[in-house]
Amino acid sequence: MLEVKDLRVRYGTVEAVKGLSFQVPTGAIVSLIGANGAGKTTSLRALTGLVRPSGGEVRFENALLNGLAPHDIVRLGIALVPEGRRLFPKMTVLENLRMGAYLQTSKADVASTLEMIYQHFPILRERGRQRAGSLSGGEQQMLAIARALMNRPKLLLLDEPSMGLSPIMTAEIGKIIRQINALNVSIILVEQNAMLALTLAQYGYVLETGTLMLQGKAEELLRDEGVKKAYLGI
Amino acid sequence: MTPDLLIQSTIIGLSIGSIYILMALGLTLMFGMMHIINFAHGAIYMLGAFAIYYIFSQWGAPYFAAFVLAMLLLGTFGYLVERSIYRAVKGGIEPTLVALLALTTFLQAAGYPVFGQLDKHVPPVFHGTRNVLGVMISVERLMIIPMAGALVVGLNLFINKTKMGAAMRAIEQDKEAAALQGVNVHVVNGLAFAIGFALAAASGALMAPIFKLDPMMGEQPLLKAFIIIILGGLGSIPGAILGGLMLGLIDSIVATALGAEPAFLLSFVFIILLLLFKPTGLFGYAPP
Ligand SMILES: Nc1ncnc2c1ncn2[C@@H]1O[C@H](COP(=O)(O)OP(=O)(O)OP(=O)(O)O)[C@@H](O)[C@H]1O
Ligand SMILES: [Mg+2]
Repeated sequence: MLEVKDLRVRYGTVEAVKGLSFQVPTGAIVSLIGANGAGKTTSLRALTGLVRPSGGEVRFENALLNGLAPHDIVRLGIALVPEGRRLFPKMTVLENLRMGAYLQTSKADVASTLEMIYQHFPILRERGRQRAGSLSGGEQQMLAIARALMNRPKLLLLDEPSMGLSPIMTAEIGKIIRQINALNVSIILVEQNAMLALTLAQYGYVLETGTLMLQGKAEELLRDEGVKKAYLGI
Repeated sequence: MTPDLLIQSTIIGLSIGSIYILMALGLTLMFGMMHIINFAHGAIYMLGAFAIYYIFSQWGAPYFAAFVLAMLLLGTFGYLVERSIYRAVKGGIEPTLVALLALTTFLQAAGYPVFGQLDKHVPPVFHGTRNVLGVMISVERLMIIPMAGALVVGLNLFINKTKMGAAMRAIEQDKEAAALQGVNVHVVNGLAFAIGFALAAASGALMAPIFKLDPMMGEQPLLKAFIIIILGGLGSIPGAILGGLMLGLIDSIVATALGAEPAFLLSFVFIILLLLFKPTGLFGYAPP
């Protein structure tokens, strides 16, 4: 479904992603893990058009994404839940969800998607008229995920959804990620929490300072001595 | 000050304030979304006034048609400025400011040879006076209030009730997040340019029958609009409305009571005091 070949991104003279290749099969959860500054966020920003790759190729269902603007990429069915959530803080929960459906033209479709979202995130229905900026961290993360789902993406990119959340909330988010995947949405999960990432994903990629260090089936990575030491703290 | 004089200067203040609000709204909208100050706003006000001169008083079109046409023409010009200047510098803030300053100087300088002798004025559109609370007010002045009011209400409905308006608010809060929802940020920024320019043109068009026309005529309302958006809080629409009303009333009432210079001075004293206590302005909020 998604094929990334030799992706390179530079900020000025610094190359943050130095030739990254990976792929996401349809229906899979794939995880990118790595320490601070490894280039995970930068890679997701390149996939969604927020930064232009300086080299390499990104293909989504055979369409070349290089050089497309973010609004064109969203239209193809890729949604990003960005690092730090990036909600519209002065808008209500419902307005944020409606922004997520910005490209949807059918009112009936939007209404049914909204109903589906409320089934998965009942708290968002209750909080509909509350300003997004006043939600708790966990609620904000749920809203960020729900907003991205409003456009009915085929591929969902999640950038550190567990950041700043309690262990209980993190487990809840993990459950939600599984549910979304069960709805036939492929997922790229970027996480510092490698345990969470590798238990959810089928396949994992380990990044270090912009290059791929290791890749493999998630259960194999979980048993890998190097991964255990560096990312699982065991 | 007699009660009659107070009523009169209050109504005049409301009409001046309406003009200030129209000017300030576009400025604050563009600042909120793109973090740029449109220095060309005064020049567009001037062009709005000259558009009325040509379309209405020279070519004989009905005033309302001329008014709408002036807004459409200059709104389109605003959209084109986004497409050309703003995109050419990739939305860089400093280059945009320099380019807008250059555009302003160009439009004002070109105004002298193009518009010729500085003897142009627009004949009255609304004649006579009307009795308001026992005071006679010129209808020309009075009509500014409902016309500007309609534009302010219209803008607020657009921003708060339409999808495009929601996209504008989204860009104001987080441009990248807006793009990630599918908003074409360039098109919506272009729309903000168009709205800002059209409202500046409307201010000039409303004032055209009251003052003599001159290529520099927009500088004073521009300065007032700057004061207002700082007073109201940069990027805040309610702030621009309240700030514009306050400044219009100060200008008119204090000028009637004490003279024009003290009024000018007082508006600055007022803003300095306000900013001392609330540095972000009336409705401004400091980003976390
Ligand atoms: N806008 C930017 N300008 C310059 N350098 C940047 C920019 N954004 C990121 N970088 C640099 O690129 C590198 C990769 O950053 P990135 O944010 O992609 O890492 P990350 O893997 O997401 O880290 P974290 O886990 O802390 O979120 C870092 O060295 C960072 O300093
Ligand atoms: Mg990151």
